[in-house]
Amino acid sequence: MSGALIALVGAAVGYGRRPLISGIDLAVAPGDFLAVVGPNGGGKTTLVRALLGALPLLAGQLLRPRPIRIGYVPQREHVDTIWPFTAGEVALLGRVPALGPWRRPGAADREAVRRAMARVGVDHVYGLPYGELSGGQRQRTLIARALAGEPELLVLDEPTSGMDPAAELATMDLLRDLHRDNALAIVMVSHRLEAVANYARSLAFVDKDKALFRMGALDLMLRPEALGALYGRPVAVRELEGRRLVYPTDGEDRR
Amino acid sequence: MNALQEFLSAREIWEVPLAASVVAGALLGALGVYVVLRRTVFVSAALTQLSTLGLVLALLAEERVHIETEHAWEQLVVAILFSVGGALVLGAFRSRRLPAEAGVGAAWVTASALVVLGASQLVHAAHDLGGMVFGNAVAVPASDLVVILAVAGICLLVHALFAKELAFASFDPETALALGMKVRLWDALLFGTIGLAIPVTARALGALPVFAFLTLPAAAALLARVRFRTAFAVAALIGVVAAGGGYVLSWLWEIPTGATMVAIAGVLMVPAAVSRSRG
Repeated sequence: MSGALIALVGAAVGYGRRPLISGIDLAVAPGDFLAVVGPNGGGKTTLVRALLGALPLLAGQLLRPRPIRIGYVPQREHVDTIWPFTAGEVALLGRVPALGPWRRPGAADREAVRRAMARVGVDHVYGLPYGELSGGQRQRTLIARALAGEPELLVLDEPTSGMDPAAELATMDLLRDLHRDNALAIVMVSHRLEAVANYARSLAFVDKDKALFRMGALDLMLRPEALGALYGRPVAVRELEGRRLVYPTDGEDRR
Repeated sequence: MNALQEFLSAREIWEVPLAASVVAGALLGALGVYVVLRRTVFVSAALTQLSTLGLVLALLAEERVHIETEHAWEQLVVAILFSVGGALVLGAFRSRRLPAEAGVGAAWVTASALVVLGASQLVHAAHDLGGMVFGNAVAVPASDLVVILAVAGICLLVHALFAKELAFASFDPETALALGMKVRLWDALLFGTIGLAIPVTARALGALPVFAFLTLPAAAALLARVRFRTAFAVAALIGVVAAGGGYVLSWLWEIPTGATMVAIAGVLMVPAAVSRSRG
């Protein structure tokens, strides 16, 4: 755990007094790219909320050796589009936690928002109503909001959910670039292993119904026994034109 | 002397009630932006009933248990306690085990039934209750105007100082919480201001206009596609026009004041809706 930005040690997470997942040891170090993968409703978001301190642990410890700046990108369906904010105003909210009460955003904050929006390619929609943007533009605006806070750790909850393959690829390429160019630590929740298998450096498999939590480096986690623990059936990993493909098999076709 | 001249010559009668109506309209109109955007329109209806229940209990305490509550401010304090308490429970600290509307519906219908039951037990104060529940904008005492102005000042101060926190915690509570913001505290502050505004304005306007002013001006402003910060000013302006216009028209035409205010607020939604459909 030494050198970690944030870590869970022997943690149990859940709601009320009932643990959904126990025995969690998870650390995120600078420059990590961790994908938390599992089925819908499997406890991935619960785990991430606990990691962020937004959900009290039922057991174990949340360690944050020093204060860190965190950027968070929720599922875009969770952000209500009836609010009459422009994309720029939504992104400006990313500066609010650091400002604290009393202070209003100033020119430096607006400049940081402009930079963040330009970085993710949505600076041209700065003054447009957030609710009138396309799904992809809204997703990028939410990523820009997270980046506007100049985070050391970027946490994203299902950022490619509901996207077509091209948009999913574009979003993942963007995250890869942010991770590479800014040395940003990334934790990303996804129910699609294939979406993250070409980008993440480490994987955590989470499924509360199987009482499963397993974490390791990408190559280790893409081995048949680890994938079998998550999916409960044989899963193959193949490389095609430099990209990993992950798909279920009938048991004959294994890596 | 025509009706307008008669109205103008009776300034000493209407200047305080008109001022109270206009300030209440502006205050409720602005707060309504959060009420509408947070999809908590019926929370305001339930809070109005809870506020009335507080009044009924205060009057019952005076009549039946002989606890001294004959002063208007004591009754108002009880109404505020019920309203703010309800605002915190229904808005900020609501149970996650039930859908939000189930709690709001339960509070509204239970408070309404208790108001009817309580009012049926009142003997001397039954007439006073009518004015408190349905409002009497024609005869608002100066002390009520002072209270409305004070509450409007408090709400303005809170919303000016913590505008960005209230907006973030309301717009995207999940992210605000993930970034370490105390979302429940900001929710409590927001709903506290709404819970405070309802009983003091209901004494002047009545329950129906309060519910209407927390909904219609903000809905009209949002229909007109104004931006977030502008929506508060536009909704407040619509509240002022509806309250002031309703007061004057009801005087001139000798029709019910509260209902006239609500009707004007409703009519003011039409141009906003038309402008949206054209946009």
